[in-house]
Amino acid sequence: MNGRLRAAVAGALVVLVLGGCTNDPYPSADALERILYQPFDDPPKTLDPQVAYSVVDHMVIGYVYDTLLGYHYLKRPFTLIPGMAEQVPEARELEDGRVAYRFRLRPGLLFHEDACFSQGGGARTRAVGAADVAFSLARVGDPAVGSPVLETLGKISGLVEFGKRLEDRRKNDPSFAKLRIDQQYREAGPIDGVRVLGDLELEIVLDDAYPQILYWFAMPFTAPVPWEAVAAYTGQEGVESFAEHPVGSGPFVLARYDKRSRIVLRKNEAWYGVTHPEWKAPAATYPSEGAPGDAEAGLLDPAYVGRPLPFLSRIEFRREKEPIPTFTKFMQGYYDASSVIKESFDRVIQKGDLSPDMRSLGISLARSVEPSISYLGFNMDDPVVGAKGGERSRKLRQAMSLAVDSKEFLRLFANGRGIPAQTPIPPGIFGYDEAYENPFRQPNVERAAALLVEAGYPEGIDPATGRPLRLSFDAGDTGAAALLQFQFYTAAWRRLGLDVEVAATSYNQFQDKVRRGAYQIFTWGWVADYPDPENFLFLLWTPMGRIHGGGPNTANYSNPRYDELFVRMKAMTDTPERMHLIEQMREILQQDRPWIENYYPERYALYHSWVKNEKPAGLSLPTAKYLDIDAAERALRRAEWNAAVTWPAWALLALFVIVVVPGVFTFLRERQ
Amino acid sequence: MLAYLVRRIAAGAVTILGVLLFLFVLFFLVAKPEDVARKALGERAPQQAVQQWIKNHGYDRPRFWNPEKPTETMLVDHFRRMLSFDFGTSDADDVPISRRLREGIGPSLSLTLPLFVFGLLLGIPLALLVAFFRDTYIDRAGVVVCVLLMSVSALLYIIGGQYLLGKMLRWFPISGFDPAPAVIARFLALPVIVGIIAGLGDSVRFDRTVFVEETSKDYVRTARAKGAGEGRIMLRHVFRNGLIPILTQIVIAIPFLFTGSILLESFFGIPGLGSITVDAINANDFATLRTMVFIGSLLFVLGQILTDVSYTLADPRVRLE
Repeated sequence: MNGRLRAAVAGALVVLVLGGCTNDPYPSADALERILYQPFDDPPKTLDPQVAYSVVDHMVIGYVYDTLLGYHYLKRPFTLIPGMAEQVPEARELEDGRVAYRFRLRPGLLFHEDACFSQGGGARTRAVGAADVAFSLARVGDPAVGSPVLETLGKISGLVEFGKRLEDRRKNDPSFAKLRIDQQYREAGPIDGVRVLGDLELEIVLDDAYPQILYWFAMPFTAPVPWEAVAAYTGQEGVESFAEHPVGSGPFVLARYDKRSRIVLRKNEAWYGVTHPEWKAPAATYPSEGAPGDAEAGLLDPAYVGRPLPFLSRIEFRREKEPIPTFTKFMQGYYDASSVIKESFDRVIQKGDLSPDMRSLGISLARSVEPSISYLGFNMDDPVVGAKGGERSRKLRQAMSLAVDSKEFLRLFANGRGIPAQTPIPPGIFGYDEAYENPFRQPNVERAAALLVEAGYPEGIDPATGRPLRLSFDAGDTGAAALLQFQFYTAAWRRLGLDVEVAATSYNQFQDKVRRGAYQIFTWGWVADYPDPENFLFLLWTPMGRIHGGGPNTANYSNPRYDELFVRMKAMTDTPERMHLIEQMREILQQDRPWIENYYPERYALYHSWVKNEKPAGLSLPTAKYLDIDAAERALRRAEWNAAVTWPAWALLALFVIVVVPGVFTFLRERQ
Repeated sequence: MLAYLVRRIAAGAVTILGVLLFLFVLFFLVAKPEDVARKALGERAPQQAVQQWIKNHGYDRPRFWNPEKPTETMLVDHFRRMLSFDFGTSDADDVPISRRLREGIGPSLSLTLPLFVFGLLLGIPLALLVAFFRDTYIDRAGVVVCVLLMSVSALLYIIGGQYLLGKMLRWFPISGFDPAPAVIARFLALPVIVGIIAGLGDSVRFDRTVFVEETSKDYVRTARAKGAGEGRIMLRHVFRNGLIPILTQIVIAIPFLFTGSILLESFFGIPGLGSITVDAINANDFATLRTMVFIGSLLFVLGQILTDVSYTLADPRVRLE
């Protein structure tokens, strides 16, 4: 190696090492900016608001696309508030029995600036109108878009028929298929239940009463989308796809989208919350009232109440695939919030509360029960555990339900994070009754054994074989941690004398078994789309049956009385009468036991002291617009916590000199 | 040599075709398109959306035989796409795979190139040094350290490196990546150091064996008899001749610099091709995964041929026939 090359290599090594001598992953120029730093694991699949359904997708588009309605940030149970719409509309029954909702949009709302608006020259943005909401709904109906919510929004009169017309025209008329997307929609339209009554007025007509439709207008699926963006970003011939180039009207603009490493959202200075603070629009102003305890928790700080949103200048999402480095970076102050990872649980949580160590660092803990449930289910089409077995099978299910101790399960596998479930409806959702105790969800082995005797399986023995009744627990996870959990259930049932075998396969194989109906007992979970009991109780409604209808009722439960009550309940608003119906449905499930309700997961979130106004929602909602960052405090803390420890470097250098220098001298001496 | 190369390339092509057939069997016969669609669209996607997805991705065509349109089968499409390097779009998010490869190759090379270069620059001199002190306590200690280094899992180096250098000493960011020239070194320093240490034991032990073997050869004795110093013998004679077998290891590794490092990229959050592969596995993204396997097999065959050629270049006595 010649001298020049050697010098270059040494120089590169020095730059590499010296360049890295700080653990700060961010540019120093950003240190005093109000930037929220958040990690993400899996990258978003799509940013198309009519298609995106995962939490991580909504993590981005929830800020980019504004919605007609929103949720009150602090109130619980969740309450709808106006967003881009001036009011939350009331249902109006039409003469033909259908139900209509009329939205009026705020004037002067603008889409984010984008080149798609100025392709013929002119302005880089335009006003948002009712026609844009109608365009979005048409996209939901368009089969080529593949929206996962078409079935639900298909309750809008004529939406499904519109999709069929569109598909037929595209198939039979090649010239139609070449038309611009908005022109295709116009020619295949109109959609009977989507009526544009003016620039800012839109009426939605439903075939039947479905009050939950309003929740869908608080989700990105119905967010207005400019046809120009869909037409421009086709994803063909090197052009970006609309799924990767969102153009919305929300409080943040997508400034950078390296979905595999970094996503940046920048404050939208043209958002109505910024340009029209005098409107005091509920979704663009920090709330002045909240739930009990919010004032004590500092969530109604006069410094923020009534101020226009958002407070942050940027939201930076950085990809982290591994939990330990992510948590370490939180502890170094480089992420503002974190979940509690299992590897550090004992260090963070002690005696059921935040440890003194964490408190001394100014970290706070926020707990929230998620609107979701984890349950064990029986395939009710199965002859042994299902409905076909009649009373005998019912008693078997009741006995098995009594054997599962969810509190112990949570202690062993979730560090106690969760609430043992009694019904399908979790806390925070109308219909949840804290005082209710399901008699078949209180662990009781003696009673379970007695029920097995009544079922004809004394001590779990199947009289047909003279051996323990053999059942199959089918699961789509072969991981070691999951297998331990499955063994927890089978061990509980073994105590009754039942022989339940874990049939764990890959998720795909499990899905195939479910499709074929070749399963007996399974475990599954559900996270609410919106905070309404209908979104949980429909999981046991006959038309949602997995085998016969491809729906999410994986237990294939079917009970005419339950169905009748459900149909009545889902069409109602939250009234005592609705609660009464829910109680009757609860009673049916209690006896029939298609599910063993296991637990409602609880989320522990850690926040640094410089994060202001944090209140976990549980639902996947864009709440960062309410957050603020004290950047000066953060910079101070980061500097305090991250001073490099340099003495080991000097020690290593000294050791090197002590060992190598004599060696060199020896070598030279020998050579002479 | 030309005839040999033609034979070698032909054998490589057959290997590639075999890999492609194996991939087809693995991805399109074992797994059902519906499962892939459900993974892409989510559990709650209605059947209609799932069917539309399958249609949009061409997975609704017959697998092997289509009597009406014989070329419109999944098998023909699979071979056509791979052999024409038209990899299509990702099953997970519909992004063109060629674009994803372009995006990933930069971060991968920015990690693997310094890892490769600094690994060689550290490993070979260390091996030479240990060989220089052969049969002394330095040599024996060196071999023991090498075996120890080889015995530890790469994962432990990564976690240990992050803990010690990132968390305790706070010299480097624990993870992350930013391609900006001003800060890229900050993010690469730790994975490069960890990667070098993780691979050092193996390379030093191998290279040392080669160098020690060379020192017992006749030409070394002749050089000594002529009065050449030990240092000169090591650097001028042993080093040059020992490089030939070492070259095999080096050249075969070069093509794989492009595929990145799965472990390092995953743990350090570097969005390279190794990370793309892991993402594709997690997302059931068969379209991306088969592309990565196909490229991996191409590079392997290329590495083998390059190694053979490099032999003839390094040692004129070797003839490829």
